[in-house]
Amino acid sequence: MSRLGNRADWADDEEFDDPSALPAQQVISNKDGTKTVISYRFNDDNKKVKVTRRIKTTVVRENVNPQVAERRSWAKFGLEKGHAAGPSFDTTSVGENIVFRPSTNWKAQAKEAEKEGGEKGSMKDQLKDKKVKCRICSGEHFTARCPFKDTMAPVEEPTAGGMDAGAEDAGGLGAGSSSYVPPHLRKGGAGGGEKMAGRFEKDDLATLRVTNVSELAEEQELRDLFERFGRVTRVFLARDRETQRAKGFAFISYADRTDAVRACEKLDGFGYRHLILRVEFAKRST
Amino acid sequence: MRPILLSGHERSLTQIRFNGDGDLLFSVSKDKIVCAWWSANGERLGTYNGHQGAVWTVDVSPNTVLLATGSADNTVRLWNIKTGECVKIWEFPTAVKRVAFSPDGSKLLAVTEKRMGFLGTIAVIDISYGENLGAQADEPSLRITCNESKATVAGWSFLSKYIIAGHEDGSVSQYDPKTGDQLANVQVHEFDMQINDIQFSPDRTYFITASKDKSAKLLSARELAILKTYPADTPLNSAAITPKKEYVILGGGQAAMDVTTTSARQGKFEARFYHKVFEDEIGRVRGHFGPLNTVDVHPAGTAYASGGEDGYVRIHHFDKPYFDFMYEVEREQMRK
Repeated sequence: MSRLGNRADWADDEEFDDPSALPAQQVISNKDGTKTVISYRFNDDNKKVKVTRRIKTTVVRENVNPQVAERRSWAKFGLEKGHAAGPSFDTTSVGENIVFRPSTNWKAQAKEAEKEGGEKGSMKDQLKDKKVKCRICSGEHFTARCPFKDTMAPVEEPTAGGMDAGAEDAGGLGAGSSSYVPPHLRKGGAGGGEKMAGRFEKDDLATLRVTNVSELAEEQELRDLFERFGRVTRVFLARDRETQRAKGFAFISYADRTDAVRACEKLDGFGYRHLILRVEFAKRST
Repeated sequence: MRPILLSGHERSLTQIRFNGDGDLLFSVSKDKIVCAWWSANGERLGTYNGHQGAVWTVDVSPNTVLLATGSADNTVRLWNIKTGECVKIWEFPTAVKRVAFSPDGSKLLAVTEKRMGFLGTIAVIDISYGENLGAQADEPSLRITCNESKATVAGWSFLSKYIIAGHEDGSVSQYDPKTGDQLANVQVHEFDMQINDIQFSPDRTYFITASKDKSAKLLSARELAILKTYPADTPLNSAAITPKKEYVILGGGQAAMDVTTTSARQGKFEARFYHKVFEDEIGRVRGHFGPLNTVDVHPAGTAYASGGEDGYVRIHHFDKPYFDFMYEVEREQMRK
């Protein structure tokens, strides 16, 4: 690619009879004080390579003791004998940057930093421990693959309080873990009949049940009312099948439980249309 | 600050020393090699080859002409720093644990080990700097025998007035370098806790000791009075006083034999900075994978180097926060 570029003039072609010869190095002084050095060499594949280097020279003047200056000119000796000037890579390297700020409350700062690091570490540890865990026998396999799938019920899962419905830590073996549990009492593996509701199951914890809703209420109105506390994922207003009038209750699901908590606090007892709303957390259907 | 890592040694470092101008750094380790480095960029100037055993100690003459090393091969060797030649060898009955030039460079002391029926001694040798560096006295001009507890480290006080030695039993003693008499002996550190290092202030009127009893102490050279105490939470191998700023640097760590059972985090392999006057710990510098065996400070106070059990020497050139740090009282003093 550079074969044409490195020839100054087409007329030089005749003189350039030896194709293996390398053009001379060019040094161009730039206006900004830097120098551009263009040199050519053959690479490992025996191809000609053009190397362009821009060099900026900075002169650092340092006044030292004459003895020190004299020492600078000393030749290397011993194992270093005959080595080129400058640090060699096998003995000298540069370490990672260290931030060193002396301070009187050094200990407190270090502790803080450690705490941060520690928290990160613990998070990592938590993730590290997140292994596949069977809900039936707590073994390291998927519940569906559990050899006791048909004979044992899943271990009770903690339900109240925790935000994470899927929190894995088993609260202790249920009393009935060794005996048969009918499908409708099994928590984790909700029976076939509940599958339809299953997709709402997740937001149970962020779902509000609103009662004493006016018959004339509209879904959009409710949505507007509740949206101001956070993102509403679902509004369900129960209606009479025939009259299409509201039955007087509704469910509002939030994306975030904290929003739901706030909405519950603010809107419980709120006057809407001519009635006073009653807002509470929806109970699980089970 | 970005440390410069020097990996010229294959075994743990035993001592490092800057020369008088601070442009050269000498390091010795248990691998028999003595290295000379440019402190500014970490380039190795050369090596001094000839020792047959672990090299325990090194010191530079004040004019950076001669280098003295003491080794487990029972010799003290004198080297021409410029050329790397060995100019003189003194044989001793036991290993040499510490060498130190006097402030004017005219004398060299060598601390020998107590072993094989020989008591620990401190030998003082006259040094001359003639045209022929090899023309040195063959025998030490003075031998001080430590009858009670062997000396582990020693150095010269101001004007070569005293020889100060730290002992295996945790005491510090003061000797007269002319007669060899013991002038004083003070139990400074806990009994039977070896003193691992002694380093002097630039004017040599006071010095710092580092001991196995997890503390370092600042002592006056004349009265051997304890001026300051710097407690640490790990056995200390080395301590240095920084010029320019009023700090001390302590190096230590879990003993080498216990290292494998502790993680790097718990091993306390850090250089600890204390304020010399207020005795507060003001910071730590991490980096080594093993205990710090030796620390030394650039005579101008702009850098320090540490040598560890891990075989690395790390040169740290201080940056701005180091020089800026001041106590409130210091700042007020400045304003006045």
